[in-house]
Amino acid sequence: MTSTISVAGLVKTFGPTRALDGLDLEVKPGEVHGFLGPNGSGKTTTIRVLLGLLRADAGTVHMLAGDPWSDAVALHRRLAYVPGDVTLWPGITGGEVIDLMGRLRGGLDRRRRDELLERFDLDPRKKARAYSKGNRQKVALVAGLASDAELLLLDEPTSGLDPLMEAVFQQCIHEVKREGRTVLLSSHILAEVEALCDRVSIIRLGRTVESGTLGELRHLTRTSISVETAQPVTGIDALPGVHDVVMDHTTARFDVDTQHLDEVVRRLSALGVRSLTSSPPTLEEMFLRHYGDEETSGKKDVA
Amino acid sequence: MTAVASRVRTTPATRSGTTSGTGTLLRFMLRRERFRLPWWLLGAGLLLAFQSTGSQRLYGTPEDLAKLRETMGGNVTVVALSGPKELLETIGGEVVFEIFSYLAIVVGLMSMFMVARHTRSDEETGRAEVIRSARVGRHAPLAAALCLAGLANLAAALVVFATAAGTGLPVGGSALLGLATAGVGLTFAALTAVAAQVFENTRAVYGAVALALGVAYVLRAVGDVGNGALSWLSPIGWGQRTFPYSDDRWWPLLLPLAATALLGATALALLDRRDFGAGLLPSRPGRATASRALSSPLGLAWRLQRGSFAGWAIGLFLLAASYGSFGNSVEQYVADNPEIADYLPGGGDDVVNSYLGLTIMLTALTAAAFGISSALRARGEETSGRAEPVLATATSRWAWLGSHLTVALLGGAVVLLAIGFGEGLTYGLSVSDAGQIPRLMGVALVYLPAVWLVVGVAVLAFGWLPRAATAVAWAVFGYCAVVALFAESFDLPDWVGRASPFTHIPEAPFESVTATPLLIVGALAVALLAAGFIGFRRRDVGT
Repeated sequence: MTSTISVAGLVKTFGPTRALDGLDLEVKPGEVHGFLGPNGSGKTTTIRVLLGLLRADAGTVHMLAGDPWSDAVALHRRLAYVPGDVTLWPGITGGEVIDLMGRLRGGLDRRRRDELLERFDLDPRKKARAYSKGNRQKVALVAGLASDAELLLLDEPTSGLDPLMEAVFQQCIHEVKREGRTVLLSSHILAEVEALCDRVSIIRLGRTVESGTLGELRHLTRTSISVETAQPVTGIDALPGVHDVVMDHTTARFDVDTQHLDEVVRRLSALGVRSLTSSPPTLEEMFLRHYGDEETSGKKDVA
Repeated sequence: MTAVASRVRTTPATRSGTTSGTGTLLRFMLRRERFRLPWWLLGAGLLLAFQSTGSQRLYGTPEDLAKLRETMGGNVTVVALSGPKELLETIGGEVVFEIFSYLAIVVGLMSMFMVARHTRSDEETGRAEVIRSARVGRHAPLAAALCLAGLANLAAALVVFATAAGTGLPVGGSALLGLATAGVGLTFAALTAVAAQVFENTRAVYGAVALALGVAYVLRAVGDVGNGALSWLSPIGWGQRTFPYSDDRWWPLLLPLAATALLGATALALLDRRDFGAGLLPSRPGRATASRALSSPLGLAWRLQRGSFAGWAIGLFLLAASYGSFGNSVEQYVADNPEIADYLPGGGDDVVNSYLGLTIMLTALTAAAFGISSALRARGEETSGRAEPVLATATSRWAWLGSHLTVALLGGAVVLLAIGFGEGLTYGLSVSDAGQIPRLMGVALVYLPAVWLVVGVAVLAFGWLPRAATAVAWAVFGYCAVVALFAESFDLPDWVGRASPFTHIPEAPFESVTATPLLIVGALAVALLAAGFIGFRRRDVGT
């Protein structure tokens, strides 16, 4: 099965800045793929390369079995794009923009368009200069979702939407998924990613630092343990995968790499566990670790 | 102690209420204007300097002036275009007669842009929201913008005074002329302040004030031709009817002062009756669905540019029509003022044709400005981020750039035809010859290759040096304009003139049109356009 999007070793520089520095990305047909990373990590640049707006300096990029740069127009018939920072023509109404975008892509489903306008509660008769940030975003979303494109490229598509509209958006993506279409979703909203994405790729400084299902990623992170035992706690800090240990006679608090959890629990139960609380890694922690922690991501890059 | 100190400090702010922060805002606005204002002032100064030195050279003697009163003062068209013939009593008055309307338009537009930029435009973009959230009163931005316009017009008055007096005109009249000019600017500044309360978006404010400026011009034109009554309804008329250098009447200056006070107070009162961000007139809802016409890149380009295209076409039609209406009297005028013949490319032999040729060439040059601004729309779409979603559809780069250029290139041709039609219409009417219309339309169209070549330079820069495209394109236009206007009177070296495409176009109708130069200029234009397309095809979009 060939990937819908397949990027390997992608490099893009702007003058002295290396915006993408050997980025890898695999999106399989029919999946919703989360594309995560801190601001300025290269998500938008990657999407612009996929759209053929920017030319890659090095690396290979394939999308829908074509080359985004040289086959741009043919590929664009099969995809829909929603930018995160929507600027519209001030004197043109939202309804006109949606129709225009659909026609430029090769036709749009009028029934679906009207249904989406209804669901997103958007007034199509307003001139674009009168729309708020959230409403401009809705115009772009309706324009993108009203198409029957087989691939959706969404660059922070829900920035500025209220929670109600966020829910509508998630429903729409679930429907898209049921129809077997593919989605690349760049987002900062972790609840959205958790609810929608089959797999995620985390990028940082223009490189992919982690890629896999959410379950796999969780497995790579640490669980926090707080324990009280019958016998004094000893030797815990010597076990592999244990970090940040605070021991006080019969109580201990520490983090453990999830893959080493089993050995640690065995060791603890030998000491006679009186109470134990374990908190699984939250998505938040997982991302904070990848976004912020210089050392960890540095090591991962080497490995 | 600290409590007392802070109370002392906050008291003035709370007391002055709705205007607190005006001074700070005014300083900030002055800073934002520091690169724009000098250009407006320079423009006003140059206009007056050229007119003043030119008029004094041509009509320096009382006999010349007397002749001029007969020919120009008796010509309805000239009076309608310039001002009341009473001004033609003195040489200073003659300068005012010729240039005051233009000075009025310059300071009027300067004031309009200035006030709208710091009021409605700031509100529309959201900049004003940040400012109003600080310790700034409700009236402060408007009050500061009006103070700014007041200072700018005072500066304009000084520039006009210094230029007029510096070119040898009497000091008293020059002071009056400066203040009369500033009066027009102030009135339109205050009118803009009112329009900024009424309309919700900046373009509507510009439209309304520009229309008012046009009406003011027409009112004084009709009034000056007739009994003068309508001129008193026009701020431009008020300024002209101070009659600097001939009658030196100071009291009409009270009219713009009163109008400014009245309009300014109205604007402040209206401000209290509307919500922030809203206008007194709500904007009308538009279409819920796109029409058939908005289905292609070309449809979009036309939709985006049709307004400015219509503005250019109508404006240049009117300009050419006003030139054409003067065509029939030009022979008599040159016979009376033989020095003028030196400025006509054909000399005194074929006065009418060389006059028509020169005026069409100058207007065609302005048509190139339309071509540039239209081609640069593509760059504007790119930098604003609006090109990206369009290029993410099945629209190729060729089709996208090509559709904007279609408007620029074909639009340029239509604008040239409108110029020929305008000049042919009024000249044809004055000599009762309908054949002048197709003839002069043909003459104007001869400049098409040159207009396209200038557009080609803009496209070349857009393709290869996108960041510099705007500067490069306008520099090339400025160069062509300087060559066209000054090459002959300033004895510039030959090669300077030959670098402008307009120099190579045969100056019909007094020169015969040959195909070779047109084909060469046209081929160059096509080559530049093609090179620009290739550059755009190869580069990153959005940088």
